[in-house]
Amino acid sequence: MKRLIFAILLCLLASSAFAKEVVYVYNWSEYIPEQVLSNFEKETGIKVIYTTYDSNEVMYSKVKVLGGKGYDVIFPSTYYVNRMQKEGLLTPLNRKLLPNFKNMDTSLLNKEYDMGNKYSVPYLWGSTSLAINSDFVDAKKANTYRILWDSKYKGKVILTDDLREVFHIALRILGYSGNETDPEKIKKAYELLRKLRPNVRVYNSDSPKVPFINGEVTLGLTFNGEMYAAAQENPSIKYIYPKEGAIFWVDSMCIPKGSKNVANAHKFINYIMKPEVAKMISEEVGYPSPNKAGVALLDKSVRTNPTIYPPLSIIKQGEFQLDVGDAIKVYEKYWNMLKSGK
Amino acid sequence: MTEKNRFKTFSITLISVWLILLVLVPTLMVLAVSLMTSNTPGEISPVFTLNNYKAIRDPLFLQVLADSFEMAFVTTALCLLIGYPFAYNLSKYRGKFKSLLLVLIIIPFWTSSLIRTYAIIIIIKTNGVLNGALMALGIIDEPLRLMYTETAVLVGMVYSLLPFMILPLYAVLEKLDGKLIEAAKDLGAGRMRTFWHVVLPLSMPGVIAGSMLVFLPTLCLFYISDVLGGAKSLLIGNFIRNQFLLTRNWPMGAAASMILTVIMFVIIYIYYRSTKKTGGEAI
Repeated sequence: MKRLIFAILLCLLASSAFAKEVVYVYNWSEYIPEQVLSNFEKETGIKVIYTTYDSNEVMYSKVKVLGGKGYDVIFPSTYYVNRMQKEGLLTPLNRKLLPNFKNMDTSLLNKEYDMGNKYSVPYLWGSTSLAINSDFVDAKKANTYRILWDSKYKGKVILTDDLREVFHIALRILGYSGNETDPEKIKKAYELLRKLRPNVRVYNSDSPKVPFINGEVTLGLTFNGEMYAAAQENPSIKYIYPKEGAIFWVDSMCIPKGSKNVANAHKFINYIMKPEVAKMISEEVGYPSPNKAGVALLDKSVRTNPTIYPPLSIIKQGEFQLDVGDAIKVYEKYWNMLKSGK
Repeated sequence: MTEKNRFKTFSITLISVWLILLVLVPTLMVLAVSLMTSNTPGEISPVFTLNNYKAIRDPLFLQVLADSFEMAFVTTALCLLIGYPFAYNLSKYRGKFKSLLLVLIIIPFWTSSLIRTYAIIIIIKTNGVLNGALMALGIIDEPLRLMYTETAVLVGMVYSLLPFMILPLYAVLEKLDGKLIEAAKDLGAGRMRTFWHVVLPLSMPGVIAGSMLVFLPTLCLFYISDVLGGAKSLLIGNFIRNQFLLTRNWPMGAAASMILTVIMFVIIYIYYRSTKKTGGEAI
């Protein structure tokens, strides 16, 4: 027994003595090609310890509970950057260590959630908007989210399982901002969404392309990357930017406050910003890259596909999500009512 | 003797420490948090309040609770309806396939239940195996709409939990004294009467144990309703998760899960009392 303990201790000592440089990366699931990680390890000799999450809420709770320790690179979405920064959970980035920052598309920098990109660098971005199967839905009438309410489509509508996005479209139809915090306006959006209930077949944020391809739904609110993939299998599936504007989001790379490998984290972020790496990520994951030099390397058919890379006018028409602070409680109350009502 | 005693002390201490550290302490922590105040999302201030429990009287929460119980009740009833005849026949079966039949009940546990839930999709989706077969046989002209309905949720729940109903029922029915049934027959009871007055009362401990093993998990298996039901209904499990992750009102989430714990305790207590009354033993 004693000998066994001694052996274990020896192993532990040995592994820490010969420990290589490491970087703890905590990313969304299925959001990076395996090859990017192994290439980074080969090039820098830094070992990547990679773990994944499937929602901002889970990532945020873990980082918060650990007091910002335990991870070196995290990928919060849009307004989570702003929330985590306000709560002192992020380390400012050292731009000198990130020479590849020059490759980034300036139209995706300097957003309200992090002016001057002091704490974050965009990783991938995308949109949530209307999608239809043109075999069943008239594409000419699909220039507004209102089409989802049409009684023709009873039990044929898909929505994301995300209360902010679902309320966003109702708020926009009513002419408000998707980041509304006024309880009265949120209530009006709820009343509008109640009328949508008979049409809703499924709420799905994991893999919304599946019900589309399987023919369970024919229209709905969903993500551009998913619909790009769905259109490869069924060309009738179309992604549309309606007049009320799409919802845009950016997933950013940040360094949490308690990171123990800040230098390695910068190396990792800088590596991701290499044009050829950005290209590989965007191609494999299917979402647009904020890396201008990387996008230039992409095949023309992808680069000019409006589902993935919408023109600037479309982006301007849309809206980025912001933190709504305490109003999230109001949203949550109505969301629960929406889902529990008979 | 001392060796045996030492073993006894060791195993009891191990289990006690395990239960105290991993069940009692966390439960007490949840209880403590449920009595605190949350002013800003994600923050807990140690100010005593009962407001979190008062908020439970909100008709919304009661609706969620009622929906969850309804789902659990229907699932349990269906499992009993399907599981009892199976367990009864299995206990009467004397052929060579008996152990094989038992193994077949357990085999599904070799795969994660989440994966099995996704597998159900392949069968019941609009252009899936079931609709394909029924249409090929000319039984239906148009595909059945099963996916993302309450029927789909029930199919998933019953499928996942049926073994928990069958196994305790089988254990009780297997031990059933055949002489009692013979005696009932000798005294002129018909098959139905024998069942109602002899077999069913004697198998009640199994019925209750099986029902509990099905009822309680159903309250928490929200992923089945999310995956097969299209996340359209809010069950108590979803509600608690939303409190912790979405609104980050930990005290409220803790209060909701304490209420669930209390309800489970009550059900277990009723079970305990009923097994005492029927004279049966706990499984």
